[in-house]
Amino acid sequence: MISTTLLEAGLQPSSVLIVDDETTLRKALRTSLIASGFEVQEARSGEEALDTLQRHLFDLVLLDINMPGISGIDACRRIRGISPQAGIVMVTVRDLEDDKVRALEAGADDYITKPFKLRELTARLRAVLRRTRIQSPAETSVLEAGALRMDVERRLLWRGDQEIHLSPKEFELLAFMMKNAGAPLTHVKLLRSIWGIEYGGELEYLRSYVRMLRKKIEDNPAQPQYILTEPWVGYRFRNPSDPDSPSVPAEDE
Amino acid sequence: MHTAKSSLKHIAIGSLGVALLTFVSFQMGMDLASAIPLYLCLVVLLSLIGDFGSSLFVAALSAGCLDFFFTRPLFSLYINNPRSVLALVAFALTSLVITKLVSQVRKEGISARMQKDRLDRLYHLAEGLLHLDAEAAAGRTFLDPFQRLFFVTAICIFDAEAGVPRIIGDAEPGLADKTRDAYIRGAGMDEAESGISVRCTRFGARLKGAIGFQGLKDPAETATALAALTTTFLERTNAFRQASAAAAAEQAEVYRSAVLDALAHEFKTPLATILAAAGGLREAGPLDAAQVEMAETVESEAARLGSLTSRLLRTARLEKEDIKPRMELTDVGLLVSRIARQYGERSPDRRIIADRDDCIETLADAELLRLAVSQLVENACKYSELGSTVSLKIERQGDFVAIQVSNDGSSIPPNERRQVFERFYRGARARQSTSGSGLGLYVARKIALAHGGSLELETRGGAECNVVFSLKLPSTKTEVHHDIHHVVGGRVAAK
Repeated sequence: MISTTLLEAGLQPSSVLIVDDETTLRKALRTSLIASGFEVQEARSGEEALDTLQRHLFDLVLLDINMPGISGIDACRRIRGISPQAGIVMVTVRDLEDDKVRALEAGADDYITKPFKLRELTARLRAVLRRTRIQSPAETSVLEAGALRMDVERRLLWRGDQEIHLSPKEFELLAFMMKNAGAPLTHVKLLRSIWGIEYGGELEYLRSYVRMLRKKIEDNPAQPQYILTEPWVGYRFRNPSDPDSPSVPAEDE
Repeated sequence: MHTAKSSLKHIAIGSLGVALLTFVSFQMGMDLASAIPLYLCLVVLLSLIGDFGSSLFVAALSAGCLDFFFTRPLFSLYINNPRSVLALVAFALTSLVITKLVSQVRKEGISARMQKDRLDRLYHLAEGLLHLDAEAAAGRTFLDPFQRLFFVTAICIFDAEAGVPRIIGDAEPGLADKTRDAYIRGAGMDEAESGISVRCTRFGARLKGAIGFQGLKDPAETATALAALTTTFLERTNAFRQASAAAAAEQAEVYRSAVLDALAHEFKTPLATILAAAGGLREAGPLDAAQVEMAETVESEAARLGSLTSRLLRTARLEKEDIKPRMELTDVGLLVSRIARQYGERSPDRRIIADRDDCIETLADAELLRLAVSQLVENACKYSELGSTVSLKIERQGDFVAIQVSNDGSSIPPNERRQVFERFYRGARARQSTSGSGLGLYVARKIALAHGGSLELETRGGAECNVVFSLKLPSTKTEVHHDIHHVVGGRVAAK
């Protein structure tokens, strides 16, 4: 069954390659993703995935990080080489730092931590799909997200009707985040993109700037709606207008 | 009594000897010069078996007999020849010195024998104690060697830290009090009429407690040694107990890590499969309303199991590693009231109230803080009766923001209060009534300390006091502006 929204929009269903060594999980994901409107193929290992990707194009690859044979991280790096257009979402098990950061550094577009709800997975897949498709060469000069509107060229920011003043670095940081809305951005990536390649460990700088930005753009800085903290990884800019944007407080049990 | 009797016996034997010697020598018609060596021999012989007093008596009697029977004029104590006086004085002095020396040597011999005997008994006591295992230290078996070797009928051990005297054996009423008194005075004591001797015990220079013995023979010589031996034995059993507890904890940790790793890797994939299947079921439809609800229940419960697993794993990891909080301006009030709401929904049998001032913001790692406070609330729910109230209160206390979590009607016994923050510690009642890892409070405290704060157990009210866990975080009063770094020439410079 193909999702009605896709049919109405007249779009081709997106193709997903599920790479996981667990047969039951693969089957369940396959059935559920097909029911959610995706076209699905399976691979049982990293090697098999690379083989399949050399013969077919996929919009998305859902890649398990822990697999026998070549590891998920290695597979991710190689898939980036073979199939640069495909969005890669890695499935991690550990909740804390390392795996997620390593996955992003290896070229993954996003990650999802096992166990996850199907809705979360499909929202994330769609968000990645949109981002990878939008990689348009034409730089838009006005960025919008919820009540925020940014004129990149004139370096102006409004929240609703109110103009907000930002320091040059604050502006650069927010612009970078808004351009990459929805994507997880590691501390290192943010530091290097805004401050320069020699940075990476100065987390306190970044935190101070994020604190300031939140004070300026959020209704309640303690309960941010735009700049979400990705625990142990970095930040993610959320566009509230995006139907697939992550749910707000990533509340822990 | 005994000594007086034996002295009399020696005096009688000595007098008889002197009488016999006088009779024989007089019959043989000896003069003073020949009699003196014979009497000297007698005095020396008698001093070998008698004590100093009886020997002195025999020497004086001999001098008298020599004067009366062998010095001219005979049968009178009067002496007319100065040479005879000299001879008699020489005899008296010699016998005096000999008697003195011999009795001294004898006395030292006796004391050495006693000393050796005491040492033997102490040695046997030490040996006996070494063979006792840690379990016996608390029981009557502990008293046995003391009773057998030193006639001790009861021992009272007072450890200042525990504060309660421990009595082994059939003690007279006064033993415990006298032992404690001696500790308070800081000096031991021996009491002849009650037969109680007390010695203070020390660890280095620090007064540690006191040990009282009842029925101990010659306490002046033995009590100190016995107290030292007892202390050493108790320290040894303590150390042994701690060492085995540490070994057990280490073993448990290895085991727990293995279980947790298994949880991480083995549970999460099946859970992900259940979630994918339940979600797929709903998407694949068409399902009626009841079926959708069931699919959603499967999904939400599996998700809950998943996040419980994650939290357990995170707790376990924080337990092992150094915590480095990532400080961000956090609305503690909001965080706490969210936790209260969340737990309120989850445990409808308890009333959960959050009470806070206005917005209380401070620098904290919200993730970690949420974990710590959730742990406190979870404990407050777990260890309280159905229908009771769990309250969360936030207030500024000087330079700190205090989050207090309490429940009504549950208490922690005083002897367990210090231990609740220990790793893997679970109270006696906790073990009976609920499940738990024994890591929660340990990790919560570690989180508080990593923030530069504290987590403490406070009690309120009388004997049935409420248990209040108070988590304090340093409060940041300064505006965030001040710790912003300024951009100088395109580079970031820290202030």
